[in-house]
Amino acid sequence: MSAIAVDALTKRYGAVEAVRGIGFDVQPGEIFGLIGPDGAGKTSTFQILAGVMEASGGKVEIFGSPARDARSTTGYLTQSFSLYPDLTVAENIRYIGDLRRVTPHDIDDRAHRYLSMFDMDRFTERLAGRLSGGMKQKLSLACALVAQPKVLLLDEPTTGVDPVSRREFWDTLAHLAIEGLTIMVATPYLDEAERCHRVALMHLGEIREMGTPAELRGKLGAKRLEVHTDKLGDAEEILLRRSSEGQEIVDVQRFGDRLDVIAPDPDRGRKVVEEALGSQGLKSDVFRVDQPTLENTFVATLRNIDRGKSAEPPAYPGKHPHRDLAGQVAIGARELTKKFGAFTAVKDVNIEVKYGEIYGLLGANGAGKTTTIKMLCGLLGPTTGSMELAGEKGSLRSREVRERIGYMSQKFSLYDDLSIDENLDFFAGVYGVPPEEREEKKKWVLAFSGLEGKQDLITGSLPGGWKQRVAFGASILHEPSVLFLDEPTSGVDPLARRAFWRMINKLADMGTAILVTTHYLEEAEQCNRLGFMVAGELVAEGTPQGVKSKRGGHLLEFLVDQPQRAADLLREKGDRWRVSLFGDRLHVITDDDVETGKKKTSERLQSAGIQIREAYEEPYSLEDVFIVVVEKARQQGKFAKED
Amino acid sequence: MRRIFAQVRKELTQIARDRLALVLALALPLGLMLLLGNSIALTVTGVPIVVQDLDDSPASRNFIDAFRESVTFLVIPWTTALPPERAFESTKARAALIVPQHYGRDMARGLTTPVQLLVDASDANTAKLVQGYAGEIAANYQPAAAPVKAEIRLWFNPGRESKKFYGPGIFVLGISMFPPLLAALAMSKEGEQKTILQVYVSSISATEFLLGKIFAFLLIALAEWCLSMILLVTYFGLHLAGDPTPLLAATVLYAFCVASFGTLLGAAIPNQAASIQAVALGGFLLVFLLSGLIFPVSNIPPQLRWISGLVWGRYYIEIVRDALLQGGGWPAMWFNVVMIAVIGAVFYLLAWKKMRRMQLSV
Repeated sequence: MSAIAVDALTKRYGAVEAVRGIGFDVQPGEIFGLIGPDGAGKTSTFQILAGVMEASGGKVEIFGSPARDARSTTGYLTQSFSLYPDLTVAENIRYIGDLRRVTPHDIDDRAHRYLSMFDMDRFTERLAGRLSGGMKQKLSLACALVAQPKVLLLDEPTTGVDPVSRREFWDTLAHLAIEGLTIMVATPYLDEAERCHRVALMHLGEIREMGTPAELRGKLGAKRLEVHTDKLGDAEEILLRRSSEGQEIVDVQRFGDRLDVIAPDPDRGRKVVEEALGSQGLKSDVFRVDQPTLENTFVATLRNIDRGKSAEPPAYPGKHPHRDLAGQVAIGARELTKKFGAFTAVKDVNIEVKYGEIYGLLGANGAGKTTTIKMLCGLLGPTTGSMELAGEKGSLRSREVRERIGYMSQKFSLYDDLSIDENLDFFAGVYGVPPEEREEKKKWVLAFSGLEGKQDLITGSLPGGWKQRVAFGASILHEPSVLFLDEPTSGVDPLARRAFWRMINKLADMGTAILVTTHYLEEAEQCNRLGFMVAGELVAEGTPQGVKSKRGGHLLEFLVDQPQRAADLLREKGDRWRVSLFGDRLHVITDDDVETGKKKTSERLQSAGIQIREAYEEPYSLEDVFIVVVEKARQQGKFAKED
Repeated sequence: MRRIFAQVRKELTQIARDRLALVLALALPLGLMLLLGNSIALTVTGVPIVVQDLDDSPASRNFIDAFRESVTFLVIPWTTALPPERAFESTKARAALIVPQHYGRDMARGLTTPVQLLVDASDANTAKLVQGYAGEIAANYQPAAAPVKAEIRLWFNPGRESKKFYGPGIFVLGISMFPPLLAALAMSKEGEQKTILQVYVSSISATEFLLGKIFAFLLIALAEWCLSMILLVTYFGLHLAGDPTPLLAATVLYAFCVASFGTLLGAAIPNQAASIQAVALGGFLLVFLLSGLIFPVSNIPPQLRWISGLVWGRYYIEIVRDALLQGGGWPAMWFNVVMIAVIGAVFYLLAWKKMRRMQLSV
């Protein structure tokens, strides 16, 4: 019997059809991923599966009984975690356990088991509201698990959670699946979707593609070329134009120091790239040919569906470029330190960002990124250290400085009870946008957000991803020369994320200095320079390529027959962080040279009877680098405040 | 049963964590009682009055002494040279008594003698009371031994202390406001923070969920009741008169009624700010204005009087006053107890109807 059986499921809200006859089966012990752009109908599907909302039509069964009757066998995690912030960790678990009629003895037992499994048994008496994002997420998972459900429904459980915690979370899920738990998960992070057994791509209430990650990648029938060139912005434009003319290039995406070009035939693709760029006098170098990622597939599929519609957002009506400033220092921080009482949130941070540069600030939850940003943009005075902002050293909050900076905060919300139009009018007013430019700018924000003609909607009624787009648009209405973006793309779907980054790149090309934080490390590749923060200190800095090559050791990828057992085995002896699991592939970081490392690891695995299909060296991804940096800093005694 | 208990424990833990809620639940009602109990007083005492004695005989002085003895008036010396209106203009006095010449002679002859009373009527209510009291003093004034003497005794509240009358009313106001406020907040918070989803996913029934919530706030209401009762006995000087069982039965029912009221509003309005306003409107305004707390129900215009028949606080105020002042017991109060139970049951049923499906209502 299938664990989850969905057939011809529909859901209507008034005239709006959110789910239009979807069907799928999930087998026991399977991790099934649901991906799709904002507003695809994922949350509605989850709510119906969890039995908290009625379907308009169709069949939803969990182990053979209707979803509503099967509630005692399902666990449900929402985006907002649904925890009681004023109860402690133990009390939260206790309450949910009681609601689900678990005996007090079993509650204690399982609470202990899962909390120690998640490495948070020290925090049982802490209030849930005072946990970090990663901890909250693990606690809500513990709450869901206390009733020992057979099916786990996770609706974007990792939004706003840092990469280290996300990786741990997925390791836990893999374990639970092996124990027989069926897991269905929605995620905006496509690297996470790679760890699912099967994935369904949902769009406008319908399932467009379904299969294993490898099948989906294969369906694209193309390869990914990494192209290095000197003028990325121009090269991207040229190649995009070229891709719409012929079939040789499917898609082009810009990263910090390279372009990814998707081409059905790598050899012809390479030739087309060289010709197209060469004819414009640009040098280029294709330095790697690789499999496309799931994200490439996602974007290509959605582009296919939307073909015909104008995919390109209208040009940004920038009237006041800052190109003449290029090369000057926009943000200069020296020895910034911030103490809150006895607690040092930020310690001796030096950051310099020039006009036209994109600087990415990375770090785990609680590493001090938001405090740093607040100091850099003058919202918070440092305890010690000096600051320079937009050419001003003294009063960072003067009117002139404030008019030149833009700030989109993590929780920056527009006014929920105003319409989109009213919000934009308000921000255009406070930022002093010249009246004759307002109409055009507002129109642009609406087009950029995909909300043309919907300016009278109440902002509070928009899904998170859309609100984020409007908020981003509002923060650049006044064409600031220095822009601070604190997790601008959190909870935004991959397609919109690309639009964000194209815009960010365009702003940088116009001379804007941009400082951005993000938990999506693949998009951090688009920054010109990166800084890693651990426990309030800046521990590493450089270009994406630079920080990767600075890492000692090598990253080895193993294709094995029992990936989870292999991962557990390797973690038993050795550092946990050196091993991570990506679907059926195993990443192992070794300090030896490639051959020795390959040999040592292979021997360990083979002695336990695990078959190795393939083993090779992989280039570091930024996420690997991030994890190594954080772990090394921790070993040197730097801990986030939570520990 | 266990789930109800779990629900109660969770609610009480949350309240205990929230300092503001604790203050709201326990300290504020006491403060409200002290404040309003002392400031609402509709009786008048110490009204400044000027007296012009144009006769200045032993008889007239004797008559004026009757005013001096009264607690209602405070006699202020005033020369006969100045017109008494001056005292009104400078707000030194609210009334003036003028005893004419020949007062002593007329009294000695046994003739009826008019005296003049001038009253500042800008505050109509006080003016009316002053007029009444002054008339009473004059009428009761017997210079010599009279054949008949009226012996007036005030029952239940011999000192006519308004504190004793309003204390119980404000006590009821506190219980009608703060527990439902907390209940509504707790309920709308679940909707606002989406924790309600966790409840929906478990198979707890609407009855278990609601009873757990309501029982928690019923306990809060009873705790507040005990504290306030102590204040009524110690500070307001009230004590139980007669059979306490109607009061105890009504109190438990009333606590259920107000907790259900708050829970209903919280369930219907998943927004904390809006549900506070709803409770303030329902709990405070209705009980304050239409329950006989300040204005007797019989003074409410007849077109609106029927509304007060639906105001739960009205029945409970009567019971509390009866238990603390009259002591009429069950024969006088059974109907009120029944009405509180009925209104409480209606609130509960409405809340149950709202939550019955234990699903997102779309």
